Amino acid sequence: MVNGGTRQRKLFLTAFILLLSTFLFGCTNASDASKPKGEDNNMLVIAWPRDVGEMNPHVYNPSQLFAQSMVYEPLVSYQNGGELKPHLAESWEISGDGKEYTFHLRQDVKFSDGTNFNAEIVKKNFDAILNNVELHSWLGFISKIDHTEVIDENTFKLTLTEPYYPTIQELAVVRPVRFLGEAGFPEDGDTAKGVVEPIGTGPWILEEHKADEYAIYKRNENYWGELPKVEKIKVKIIPDAETRVLAFEKGDIDLLYGEGVISIDAFKQLESTDNYKTSISEPVATRQLVINTKKAQLSDERVRQALHYGFNKEAMVNGITSGYEEKADHILPANLPYTKDIDVKSIGYDAEKAKTLLDEAGWTLPKGKTVREKDGQLLEIEMMYNSAESIQKVMAETLQSEWAAIGVKLNIVGVELTEQVQRFKDNKFDINFFSNYGAPYDPHTFLNIVASEGFGFNEAISAYPNKDELLKQMSEVPMTTDEELRQQLYSSILKSIQDQGAIIPISYLKKTAIYQKDITNFTFPANRDEHPFTGISIEHK
Amino acid sequence: MGTYILKRIMSIIPVFLLATFLTSGMIHLSPVDPAEAYLTAAHIQPTDEILTQKRHEFGLDEPFLIQYVNSIIKICQLDFGISYVSNKPVWDEVTYRMPATIQLALGSILIAVFVSVPLGFLAGVKKNSLIDHFSRFLSFLGASIPSFWLGYIFIFFFSVKLDLFPVEGIGTWQHLVLPSITLALPLIAMYTRLLRASVLENLQEPYVLFARTRGIKEKTIMAKHVLRIAISPMITGLGMNLGKLLTGTIIVEAVFSWPGFGRYFIEAIFNRDIPVIQCYVLIAASLFIISSLFVDLIQMCIDPRISRKEGQQ
Repeated sequence: MVNGGTRQRKLFLTAFILLLSTFLFGCTNASDASKPKGEDNNMLVIAWPRDVGEMNPHVYNPSQLFAQSMVYEPLVSYQNGGELKPHLAESWEISGDGKEYTFHLRQDVKFSDGTNFNAEIVKKNFDAILNNVELHSWLGFISKIDHTEVIDENTFKLTLTEPYYPTIQELAVVRPVRFLGEAGFPEDGDTAKGVVEPIGTGPWILEEHKADEYAIYKRNENYWGELPKVEKIKVKIIPDAETRVLAFEKGDIDLLYGEGVISIDAFKQLESTDNYKTSISEPVATRQLVINTKKAQLSDERVRQALHYGFNKEAMVNGITSGYEEKADHILPANLPYTKDIDVKSIGYDAEKAKTLLDEAGWTLPKGKTVREKDGQLLEIEMMYNSAESIQKVMAETLQSEWAAIGVKLNIVGVELTEQVQRFKDNKFDINFFSNYGAPYDPHTFLNIVASEGFGFNEAISAYPNKDELLKQMSEVPMTTDEELRQQLYSSILKSIQDQGAIIPISYLKKTAIYQKDITNFTFPANRDEHPFTGISIEHK
Repeated sequence: MGTYILKRIMSIIPVFLLATFLTSGMIHLSPVDPAEAYLTAAHIQPTDEILTQKRHEFGLDEPFLIQYVNSIIKICQLDFGISYVSNKPVWDEVTYRMPATIQLALGSILIAVFVSVPLGFLAGVKKNSLIDHFSRFLSFLGASIPSFWLGYIFIFFFSVKLDLFPVEGIGTWQHLVLPSITLALPLIAMYTRLLRASVLENLQEPYVLFARTRGIKEKTIMAKHVLRIAISPMITGLGMNLGKLLTGTIIVEAVFSWPGFGRYFIEAIFNRDIPVIQCYVLIAASLFIISSLFVDLIQMCIDPRISRKEGQQ
């Protein structure tokens, strides 16, 4: 008995010491998350759902695009309306055959460790990228590079195997074509396995990083361009959307921005308090419905048009997104290159017309029934949506009830994003949600995935009578050197794809930002993936 | 006793094999190709060349059984592979995040024990009193409120409105308070009721009557005899719940941005990061096995009748 008591006490004591030491261990290195404003009053604090990842310019997931763009810079930058402006390259020439690109580099650029940015280091970065060409083959021009050469210290030449007009635009993407300083390279030069140090030419330098907790960037005092106004940017990693909002309300966070970083409901609620400033970006992409024309019920164009006529798009978009998305009439937003003034069939809400079209297509409504039939077959289709995306879910439910009114039975199924992508690729769907990549990838990347087999679109437009001609035109576009011909091709391809109804534009996606009142000069970058901190400042009262 | 422990430790092996086989099998049957998931998460258009390269890199082009056997051989060498997503050794990633999760779990166990032992005991001894009603109310709350919602409520009141604790993150003891309480409340609900029922049951036992007739003070009977015996089912519950606690941290870590292993695991599921998922399953399985072993040993120490039974067997 006594013995048992002693043993118990010992056990308890051990457990207590263990617990205490754990707490003490856990409470060292305290980084006080709720730092009072006065302490670092020129530091902008933002919240982000995921860790910023390895600061390596040449890798993808889990690195975050906005963070990579703070440290690393491109030769060319994408500006509003699709204008491509010099960045690390001062100017460039393209040979008449469209294969040779000669870049004249800026001469006043230094990496954050003080070393010079020159043609040698540009080539070294290209070599590292081309060393893993399969990984980067999604970016059109990469697999078309024949060789790269250093002409002189400030001149770099890129030679392609065939003309490819989007090269300049693709040089503006955030990854992988951005530049790491010499000291950042591992010994074997293969950056795919990691970088030694994140040395870039950008306006920000990574000062401190604790995985899954926060990252602090300090201003690059030797930056060649316009010096940022805030000294530091702290990125707090807060995976939960509601917690991000609560931290923002408490004042721990200065800025919440992005796509889906804050729910529409929370955004509306915060906006209604009048305590904060808000911004909404221009359209960054189009939310689309992709209809699989390989399915018997959907192979008839009249059925697809009926579906488009058969729902009130404006009411649905406004109702579900509270006006934070905009009704879309084109499959690509008109602020991308070559996408203005595409003359497409205007389709508004007209349930009667939808019913007439379905009748014409042979899908009639038997007496006393609610679903149309043709040759004993029901007009029953399935729509898949990403179960994690509440907007897709509500839209699917809305369409289910809207189309029921015209005699179409829509079954909706929520799947994980990865499964949605897979089923789309394998052509195992009737109707799917999709949105295009946005700037600086489109419009050429969109055409590329429609044209290429295995992404889902190529198979989905199988019932188009002019499919082969469309594919031929799409393969011509990137090789055009004549601007006028290129515009003509884009106009006719995009019109034809949309008018035959396999892709229905729903709404234009936008980014939202909400920030404390002392934040000024917040602007959304034209490039969808770039950071928005250029020019941002904190007013000190 | 020694043989018994050895037997129990040996039983870990088949459980491990079964757990890993089930996990691998489920991942294999999932409609999503991990290579594809990797590329989707990276916003890379999955061309056939990249897919083939990635599948080969991940060893997914081998038949399932070979993949499974290979992973087992590696695990035996304590090599959990490389994360598909971060390209870093899974073990390093896990051990980096483990301390935070352990800290949170211990914090909540500590709170749960300190609250539920006195509460459950008093509720049992003073049946139908105010404290009994209070414990019942707390148990209903704890059992019925979802953790994530409770977490938001706590943050809203104690952080945003009253500014007593930080909203999220890790670092000081203040950071630990709200997530620990959130995680502890369901445990408090369970253990309080468990202990109360056990105390009521023990009060009917002959040994209590015997002790009273011997003239031992009521306080001594309660503390030295009743509580000691009655606490046994609670310890079992605690042990059985360690694994559950590990999974419970997932939600709490997400809500409070606690940089632990649970959050990491959730991301791994979304990204189909198989090596990480397997590592998590192994850790969870071993935690279940080892904690139940510990519970049995502690119970032997507390209640001699158990070890006598073992001895007879």
